[in-house]
Amino acid sequence: MNELEKRILKDKIKTAFVYVVLIFWAIIDLFPVYWMFTFSLKNNEEIFGSNVIGLPKHWLWENYAQAMKTGNMLVYFKNSVIVAVATILIVLIAALMATYAITRLVWKSRKTMNKFFMLGLTIPIHASIVPIYVTLSRLKMLNSYWALIIPYAAFSLAMGILVCTGFMSEIPRELDESACIDGCGPWGIFFRIIVPLMKPAVSSVGIYTFLQCWNELMFANVFISNSAFKTLPVGIQALSGQYTTNWGPIGAALVLATFPTLIMYIFLSKRIKDSFIAGAVKG
Amino acid sequence: MKKALALLMALCMIVALCACGQAAAPAPTAAPAAAEKPAEAPAAAAPAAAEKTVLNLWCIATESDANHESYVKAIDAFNAAHDDVEIKWEAFENESYKTKVKAAAQAGELPDIFFSWSGAFLGDFANAGAALCLDDYYTPYADQLPEVMLANATYDGHHYAAPLNFNVVTLFANMDLLAQVGYDHIPATYEELTDCCDKLVAAGITPFGCSGKETWCVTEYLEPVIIKTIGAEELGNVFYLKSSWNNPDIATAVSTFQEMVNGGYFDPNGLALGNDEVKANFIAGKYAFYQNGSWNCGEIAGMDANVQVGEFPVMNADNATLGMLIGGPNDCLAVNAASPNAAKAAEAVWEIARDVCHWGTLAGAGLPSWTPDYDTSSINALSNAVAEMVATSNGMVLFGDNAQSANIANIYLDYVSQVYGCAIDGEGFIAGLTADIG
Amino acid sequence: MKKMLSNKLVIFAFLLPALILFIGILIAPILMSGYYSLHDWDGFTQKTFILFRNYKELFTSNSIGFMKALGNSLLLAAISVAFQLPLALWFALRLGSGIKGERAFLSIYFLPVLISTVVIGQLWLKIYNPDYGLLNQFLRAVGLENWTRIWLGDKKTALLACFIPTVWQYVGYHMLLMYAGVKSVPTELREAAMLDGATTGQVDWHIVIPYIKPVLRVSVIFSVTGSLKSFDLIYVLTNGGPFHSTEVPSTLMISMLFLRNRYGMGSTIAVLLIVLCFAFALLIGLFFKEED
Repeated sequence: MNELEKRILKDKIKTAFVYVVLIFWAIIDLFPVYWMFTFSLKNNEEIFGSNVIGLPKHWLWENYAQAMKTGNMLVYFKNSVIVAVATILIVLIAALMATYAITRLVWKSRKTMNKFFMLGLTIPIHASIVPIYVTLSRLKMLNSYWALIIPYAAFSLAMGILVCTGFMSEIPRELDESACIDGCGPWGIFFRIIVPLMKPAVSSVGIYTFLQCWNELMFANVFISNSAFKTLPVGIQALSGQYTTNWGPIGAALVLATFPTLIMYIFLSKRIKDSFIAGAVKG
Repeated sequence: MKKALALLMALCMIVALCACGQAAAPAPTAAPAAAEKPAEAPAAAAPAAAEKTVLNLWCIATESDANHESYVKAIDAFNAAHDDVEIKWEAFENESYKTKVKAAAQAGELPDIFFSWSGAFLGDFANAGAALCLDDYYTPYADQLPEVMLANATYDGHHYAAPLNFNVVTLFANMDLLAQVGYDHIPATYEELTDCCDKLVAAGITPFGCSGKETWCVTEYLEPVIIKTIGAEELGNVFYLKSSWNNPDIATAVSTFQEMVNGGYFDPNGLALGNDEVKANFIAGKYAFYQNGSWNCGEIAGMDANVQVGEFPVMNADNATLGMLIGGPNDCLAVNAASPNAAKAAEAVWEIARDVCHWGTLAGAGLPSWTPDYDTSSINALSNAVAEMVATSNGMVLFGDNAQSANIANIYLDYVSQVYGCAIDGEGFIAGLTADIG
Repeated sequence: MKKMLSNKLVIFAFLLPALILFIGILIAPILMSGYYSLHDWDGFTQKTFILFRNYKELFTSNSIGFMKALGNSLLLAAISVAFQLPLALWFALRLGSGIKGERAFLSIYFLPVLISTVVIGQLWLKIYNPDYGLLNQFLRAVGLENWTRIWLGDKKTALLACFIPTVWQYVGYHMLLMYAGVKSVPTELREAAMLDGATTGQVDWHIVIPYIKPVLRVSVIFSVTGSLKSFDLIYVLTNGGPFHSTEVPSTLMISMLFLRNRYGMGSTIAVLLIVLCFAFALLIGLFFKEED
């Protein structure tokens, strides 16, 4: 065996090792999805002991019927979608505008302002539940979609600005200058030049914001006292009783809540990936 | 500049929209936004006599709760019977409800009628003036509801809530497993109990299962041992801070319980399990005994095995007798004192509580605190057996974590969990509680 | 142009939506929490002004155990930085170097981030179950009977058992961030180094990692502040037990606010958490700046 062959062999072993680790980790990450799906088709007895990881002995599709029937899951799903979409829109608008002011407009304390917004990344969402509750109650916003949209948007804003800053500083300033020469003001530059070029940021900000608000329970539970506006996590909670809980339908509800996210993610994953790449470095 | 102004205006509009979000937000399933806060719309509510007063009610009977149907029936009946009042109700999950109702009280957003637990939980609301005193409204119902049933929701001699169903700690025994070691009855004395447990252990059967992750489950074992050692009156005094924890008999009781744990009578895995998992184990026939609330009767009655219910044996006959039980009326409905319709709510709350209790009893959700005037023969056998046990009771003390105020109850639960984990013994238990509580 | 871009009114208008949200929902409540933290308040009755006595009690009282909780979350932060981020970086480097199935792996690794904490929590409860749990079953199957534990019920193992799922869940998140960085390294840089005879390891170490430093900084900040704020999974797995061995500041805060009716004390913990998170974010920023 000569030098070259040795080196090729060594490379092959290395690659094989890398694949073993990668595949092992992939299995670990796929397992929850499999487990959640099978769990949703079992009864309490199988879930608690007799058959934890196997395929269900009896495929209890009625768990889904029950999850759909009790708790009005469709209404909750619709509410979750409305809240998530509105939150993402508000975060995008507010973050794009603020980022424009921070990166493109010329003023003294813009660095400080950026730091100030970054403060938002550090605030635990559970810390301010009662003060926010009091504020929303004074503004008569409780029991409406706004009761969730506004706080969720506020808590996702810092991340939105962080991501947008990364993208926006990549856009060459010459574009602004030529637009200026063509007679555009700051608003013209923003709407005609910057916003169209920020398209890749949308999916990044979107996915972050979505993750923030889709599974959130604490605010959703406290701020909404009207079934018409309850969101999915609250609906899933409602499937457990005071003294006894039937876990199968909870599993079914969790699948109904999670799978749309997964499907959407798989569908969008290339765009999300690309937008991460475009925005990451300067972030 | 024009554009800046336009944008500012647009922003103002957004803010304004947010501010009247209630009115602007679509209400898909017949939830008129104005109905949320009847007091905010006096013009609409005051003049016309046909206008209904809407009372909001919060409870924890979610759609999968055993009591859900009881609320549906009770409230439908109430709404049908009253032209001038309409009850609108919402149910929330048990654990998150505690957070919700406290946050609502802090923000002044309580509904007109709200579900509460008696003892210290409601006591906080009563003492702060957030719950309405219901003395005058109780009188018409005195012949249907014995006053003793109000005891746990009574503070400084005043009644603050209408009780619903109630529960007591019950010892469930899997008679098929007991038969394997030669027992055809639930052990009636402590000697018999230890003998039975020793035989079970020898036969490879775990006598007891208890969740250590949910400390209230440990109290379901510990408190019966204590009450059967020091008696109901003394335990009540300790919980209500009239006596000190510094009582050697309590130390003895705690040590007895710990001997049972150390003697291998308890499933050691229980420490890390939740109550649902432990109960599933009992139902699957893994434990001979399971001691927990009587609300489990319905579910356990559905088991294949032959199950009987009983109570923990007497430990010290000088102080205690059979029939001294842990439990009693706890779940209740209270009225928000700040509600603009407090008087109407206070009238309505008794009628609703009575009917919820009625249907709850028939559904096996617990024992009736209101005297039944209906046929109860359809209820499962275990619940009826518990009802007989309660009928001959000579002293009930509320669950310790309900009886004591929130901060103290958590200190107490802390020590209880240390007992189950054998981090402290009986002496350490009373010494610690005496130091922290008194 | 410069004059046009420095119009105060325009700047203010652009900042307005973000500022309204930010000040109204984030800053004002913090100030309110700060105000409450100076009071003894049960959330219902009259507040009593007690200045810094809550803070003093928090740091000195053994029965609250704040220092222990803080220590736990700092340990979690350390574990995250020491294991989670290097693992994520390794995945990012391997996937970024254009391996077969790159996209599939990338998507799969991000899945745990998308799944609700309730599901992740329930799954790990099943893994750790002492009786039929996968971990103990596995140990029994390979003959390590005496290694089996009551993982979440034992003071010695519970903390680590809580941290493993927390760390695992977000590996994919950091991986995606870093992968994006790796992909943005200009190919010319890579190729030049390869031509000079550098191995993959050397390219990674000398070219790629220095290039993606800004991403690493963000990752470290997220990982540390996320650890300090961690709540959901620990709440589902142990809720702070057994005997407070897995308590973190957030679980303490919730129990003070809503279980023990010590609203003032709960607010104190909230304020301290925010201060700590911010301080760490600044420190990490400084650390990376000095490196440059």
